[in-house]
Amino acid sequence: MSLLALSNISVRYGRLTAVRGVTFTLAEGEILFITGPNGAGKSSLLRAIAGVTPPAGGRIDFADHDITGRAPEDIARLGLSMVPEGRDVFGSLTIEENLMVGTGMHSGTRGWRARAASELEAVYATFPILKERRHSQAGLLSGGQQQMLVIGRALMTTPRLVAIDEPSLGLAPNITDQVYERLIALRAERKLTLLIVEQSSTRAMMVGGRMMLMRGGEIVLDGDARALGQSEAMQAAYFGYGEH
Amino acid sequence: MARYSILRRTIATPLILSALLLAFALIAWFVGSRPFNQTVIDIFLQVVFVVGLYTFIGNSGVISFGHIAFACLGGYVAAWTTIKPMMKGTAMPGLPDWLMQMEIPFWAAALAGGTFAAFWALVFGAVLMRLSGIAASIATFAMLAMVNAIYSNWSSVTAATSSVVGIPIVRSIWPYMIAAILAVFVAWAFSISRHGLALRAARDEPTAAAASGINIPRVRLIAFVISGAIMGAGGALYAHSIGLVTPDTFYLGLTFTTLSMLVVGGMGSLSGAVLGVLILSSLIQVLRWLEAGVQVGASTFALPGGVQEIALGVVMILILMFRPSGIMGNSELTGLRARTEKPVEPGTD
Amino acid sequence: MGGLMQVIFDALSLGSLYALGALGIALIFGVMRLVNFAHGDVIAFCVFALLWPSVDAVAIIFAGNLPWFLLIPFTLAVGAGLSVLSEVVVFRRFRRANPATMMIASFALGFVIRYFLLMLFSSRPKSISLLPGLSQPVEILGARIPLLQLITILVTIAVLIGLTAFLRRTRFGLEMRAAAENFTMARMLGVRANRVIMGAFALSGALAAAIALILGSQTGTANIMMGASVMLMAFIATVIGGMGSLAGAVIAGFALGAIATVMQVILPPDARAFRDAFVYGAVILVLIFRPQGLLAARGTKERV
Repeated sequence: MSLLALSNISVRYGRLTAVRGVTFTLAEGEILFITGPNGAGKSSLLRAIAGVTPPAGGRIDFADHDITGRAPEDIARLGLSMVPEGRDVFGSLTIEENLMVGTGMHSGTRGWRARAASELEAVYATFPILKERRHSQAGLLSGGQQQMLVIGRALMTTPRLVAIDEPSLGLAPNITDQVYERLIALRAERKLTLLIVEQSSTRAMMVGGRMMLMRGGEIVLDGDARALGQSEAMQAAYFGYGEH
Repeated sequence: MARYSILRRTIATPLILSALLLAFALIAWFVGSRPFNQTVIDIFLQVVFVVGLYTFIGNSGVISFGHIAFACLGGYVAAWTTIKPMMKGTAMPGLPDWLMQMEIPFWAAALAGGTFAAFWALVFGAVLMRLSGIAASIATFAMLAMVNAIYSNWSSVTAATSSVVGIPIVRSIWPYMIAAILAVFVAWAFSISRHGLALRAARDEPTAAAASGINIPRVRLIAFVISGAIMGAGGALYAHSIGLVTPDTFYLGLTFTTLSMLVVGGMGSLSGAVLGVLILSSLIQVLRWLEAGVQVGASTFALPGGVQEIALGVVMILILMFRPSGIMGNSELTGLRARTEKPVEPGTD
Repeated sequence: MGGLMQVIFDALSLGSLYALGALGIALIFGVMRLVNFAHGDVIAFCVFALLWPSVDAVAIIFAGNLPWFLLIPFTLAVGAGLSVLSEVVVFRRFRRANPATMMIASFALGFVIRYFLLMLFSSRPKSISLLPGLSQPVEILGARIPLLQLITILVTIAVLIGLTAFLRRTRFGLEMRAAAENFTMARMLGVRANRVIMGAFALSGALAAAIALILGSQTGTANIMMGASVMLMAFIATVIGGMGSLAGAVIAGFALGAIATVMQVILPPDARAFRDAFVYGAVILVLIFRPQGLLAARGTKERV
């Protein structure tokens, strides 16, 4: 049974079509990298899945619900946690407040406060620097710390799927390594499903898993990350060789 | 060459609009009833105001709540320059001697009102045009309130909140029609001028326009002054149409009516400005007539006062909801088929 | 000494009104980038909600006769209710519209409310006596201060403390602050957009009702235009305070109150009538040097 299923999704901004006819399924526990050059429609696809930009056509199913055109908060409440590009921390809120924003979706269920508290401890255990600075304003954190914060914040909601847009953007390589280490560990611990968008395929080849390549709003390749990464088809598809 | 071709391509719009206004005037002339005449005069004055408003808002995309202040300035210029000196002496004893003695014809008063308003538009605009977006809109509102506060209190030259009466009333419809047509042509000429085109480019693509060397505050200021002049002349003529002025004649009520006409017609379109006036004026007339009471069989049916404004507000909200760029969008009447630019909603900048 | 105290209390009580108004406007601007021109008319509506519809000059008091412990919650509920209603009926449909479109829509809605009142009550101001016990003076440090002025200041301080605690300590407050900063991100964390926005409207409406109670008791009249002047100053305060910054709005509100009161004292008697004109002029000058307001808020870029 797949956790996430897209069928024939297209996204349009006015007259511009950013995503055309994307179809794929993602099984529980899988890790999927979506790579592709700038403007391939990767971020638009994520925004459509998260409900921020409702798709112009097609259907999205998540956890046995049709979520096409549903509001972002409803989708989040089903267990799809989105970490958008650009590390959107709430700069004037403290780190702890940032982490707590998402726990409200479980309010009303039994023992949610206790669970939120234990999630908070878990996030702090994963990212000790956040605990150290828990009462300072999030806007004052460095880029790498902000990236940890938004990932931690996404995890606070006990999601089934975390979708992350370019976790390595603007980070020093060793920080990126750290971020990925945590993600991989978390996936093993919690049977998380991960959907990660990256511009380059390097990271996907290192981590392994499934990889898809997007170009011009379409998926052009889909397969094992390591196998694909070394193939010439990948190079050709990424740069669009042989189309002229 | 390019200038000539744009002129030829767009001249149909002011011609069609003028023909439309002329048709209204002719109908009024044939009907020949006093109340209907007054209604048509009102419509022409609204055309002047809304076209004046369009000249700034339509081209710059900045919403102004303050333009009626310029109509106020113009209206009082008419009072200062056309009332008989003896009457002025009692109502506004603080006027300087040369102004006290002045008694000029109404068209000269309209020109003077326009000039006076343009001067103050230059002064206010030099300050306000540096702001953008919502801050600019609220600052124009503050300007309106400021002018109203001054005119409501400076009793020696404005008689404060009491009516200034004795302004010679002009009952002929033709001067008002000519003013409306002139306003349409001025607005059209500005919109195809170098500055007008630059300003619209800045409205649609502010970053690109600034990068290509358009001095946005300066072109906005030019539009502000021209629209201020139109409003000022309109204010003076308004004074001559009813024979009196008070500060509250030119305040929130008129701001609301003119703005709603522009919104309904389409803020980015000169044709929209004129059509908005014609459509909403008709609606207002019907409602006024119902408010006055209609004989239905043996009983009189009358709507309570206030329904007119409520209906206007509701129409405005509905238009904003379902067709935010107004009836005309950004297109103009050209006789062939509507010339459409990229439709834009009212800008924020 | 007594004279100075009088000036200080005048400034604080006038500033209180402006601060409460600015807060109501900034709350809504924060979560949905709406400059709500209908706010002033909500204030007027709350006063008229205490009267029975009639076009006579003498007001027929209806709910206004309630004892204060019922009157105050009733008025606050009316303000919150009308404000939420305006969200549900009108502004909800403008979520994806740009701020200029919303601003004009709110201007139109304000007129609809105002003329609805005119239809029921006529445009003539009516004299009312609301909470009459509050007009007697008290003596503080040699100055005779109307009790109402003192209560106005104390109520405002209480409201500010209460609101701060609400925003800092409750889950709803947390969600509201997050939404004010980045609405889309907050929604992606499961924060319900409608709930937060309706909450902001309810709070804003209750603040309008508080102003209505103060103005009604202070002036002893009900006038369909009574919200307009407070609203304009409140707008200016929100702009100076840096659109959307709650603290900025409050500080700027008190500053405007102080400037207006000081001008009232130092201007020559002939010029006092122009006090407000001077204040508006001063504000326009401030905006030139600080177009983003004196205390620009974070994340107030206009949402697309």
